[in-house]
Amino acid sequence: MIKFINVTKIYPPDIKALDQVNLHIKPGEFVSIVGQSGSGKTTLVKSLIGEEKVSKGKIIVGGWDITNIGQREVPFLRRQIGVIFQDFKLLDKKTLFENVAFALQVCGQTPKKIKAIVPQVLKIVGLEGKTRRYPREVSGGEQQRAVIARALVHRPKILLADEPTGNLDSINAEEIIELLQKINKFGTTIVLVTHNREIVNRLKKRVITIENGVIVSDQAVGKYML
Amino acid sequence: MFLLSLGRIIKFSFQDIGRNIWLSIVTMSILILALFSVNMLLTVNVISQAAIGAVKEKIDVNIYIKPDTEESKIMALKAQISGLSQVKDVRYISKQEALESFKDKHQNDPEVMESLKEIGKNPLTPSLVIKPKDVDQYQELIVNLNSIKDDIIESRNFDDHKLMIDKINGITDRVSEAGMVISFTFIIITLLLVYNSIRVAIYTHRREIKIMRLVGASNWFIRAPYLFSGIIYTVVGVSAIVVIYYFFLNLLQPYIETFFIDYDINLAAHFRDNFINIFGLQFLVGIVVNMAASLIAVSKYSKV
Ligand SMILES: Nc1ncnc2c1ncn2[C@@H]1O[C@H](COP(=O)(O)OP(=O)(O)O)[C@@H](O)[C@H]1O
Ligand SMILES: [Mg+2]
Repeated sequence: MIKFINVTKIYPPDIKALDQVNLHIKPGEFVSIVGQSGSGKTTLVKSLIGEEKVSKGKIIVGGWDITNIGQREVPFLRRQIGVIFQDFKLLDKKTLFENVAFALQVCGQTPKKIKAIVPQVLKIVGLEGKTRRYPREVSGGEQQRAVIARALVHRPKILLADEPTGNLDSINAEEIIELLQKINKFGTTIVLVTHNREIVNRLKKRVITIENGVIVSDQAVGKYML
Repeated sequence: MFLLSLGRIIKFSFQDIGRNIWLSIVTMSILILALFSVNMLLTVNVISQAAIGAVKEKIDVNIYIKPDTEESKIMALKAQISGLSQVKDVRYISKQEALESFKDKHQNDPEVMESLKEIGKNPLTPSLVIKPKDVDQYQELIVNLNSIKDDIIESRNFDDHKLMIDKINGITDRVSEAGMVISFTFIIITLLLVYNSIRVAIYTHRREIKIMRLVGASNWFIRAPYLFSGIIYTVVGVSAIVVIYYFFLNLLQPYIETFFIDYDINLAAHFRDNFINIFGLQFLVGIVVNMAASLIAVSKYSKV
């Protein structure tokens, strides 16, 4: 599903954010990526969605070589990969329903399909009773669920979550992780970037540890090592 | 699918304008001012053309003939003058005709009529009225006329209409130059303002744009609303100027009419008859200028 072959990313002038990264993630996996701040995790996520071009090596997503992806093709890649960033928030002036619908509208989806899809994804994330609320009227955990719902509207095969629990207390964080596990059970490949030791240890799934842009460990049932 | 997206783009575009409504209003106002100055320029041109036409109409040269000259001699002179290359036509006004038109002119002036009666006989002289072919050849015509030596000629009246025309030309040229500078300045300001409005609109919507990018909206869908805003500015601006300018012309019309009392110039009618030429062209230029400004702003700032 996802392949990194000898990927190196250098930010000008000479910051090596990724250094000779080799990685293979199979369809349906749930992979955690851990590492200290500045170790290159976000760079890895961004290079997967075509937001950053890598300096060397090759990235393949679902058999598609996206290493030198063109501007015009990027939108098609993004419709296949759902992303959740810490600073990728909801729009305050739209209800949760409208926020999720927005993602479909801007991709040219018909009102009929939007009416069908939005309630479905909001139900998956457990917000079926709160679709008409504005972001400020729900908790941080619920906002993050709406963000996940928005990432799911195109039925992505892959969901990338870059520190999705960063701003949440442990109970809310736990619920978000449970939600990701549920989505993973439907067959979606999950790549979770996190700092949270407890979460990683509890998951008992594959853990990749990255340090200064280098993968230092990759364990099938990993523990947070740093 | 295309129509659906187009509808959404238009909707987003109006939302963009609405969110920065004051800035949008300032932008459109300046656009309207720019168009106003362009139309003023056109109006000045129309008026000056009319003024020059009016003066040209009036230009003629009179040669007065001694009262008791034989008609055949006058006709010979007429033929000679008609032969000059600068002459458009020559009209002979006999003593009798001169008297009639004099009476006509002064029929409401009893004193004049009284003194005419006292004289008893026709005191007016016959004349030849010469119209030049081209005002620019006026000087040559006068030189030629002066060189005709014929003792039936009593006097020659060569008013210097040329000076008048040069003056009008001078004034309109200066007004046009000033108008051009003002219009050009406004166009540049409009360009900068539209550019700035789009830039601010993009800044205001940076989160929406980021979301659009991350959920896979196409590039043109992200950019088109801002380009469309440029079109909306133009449509609003030109529609407003049509209304405002007709209103302005109607205010102006009475003054124009008193100034060109004998001449029929109707500015509103001129603008109406040339509606497509005048406002259509402004619309096209407006679209090009505003789209250019939007395009530059969008390609520079929409990479969130
Ligand atoms: N746009 C950028 N320009 C220059 N350097 C960057 C940029 N983004 C990240 N970096 C640098 O690359 C390194 C890796 O950053 P990042 O991938 O954000 O790490 P992490 O997500 O693990 O905290 C850091 O040293 C960071 O300063
Ligand atoms: Mg990061």
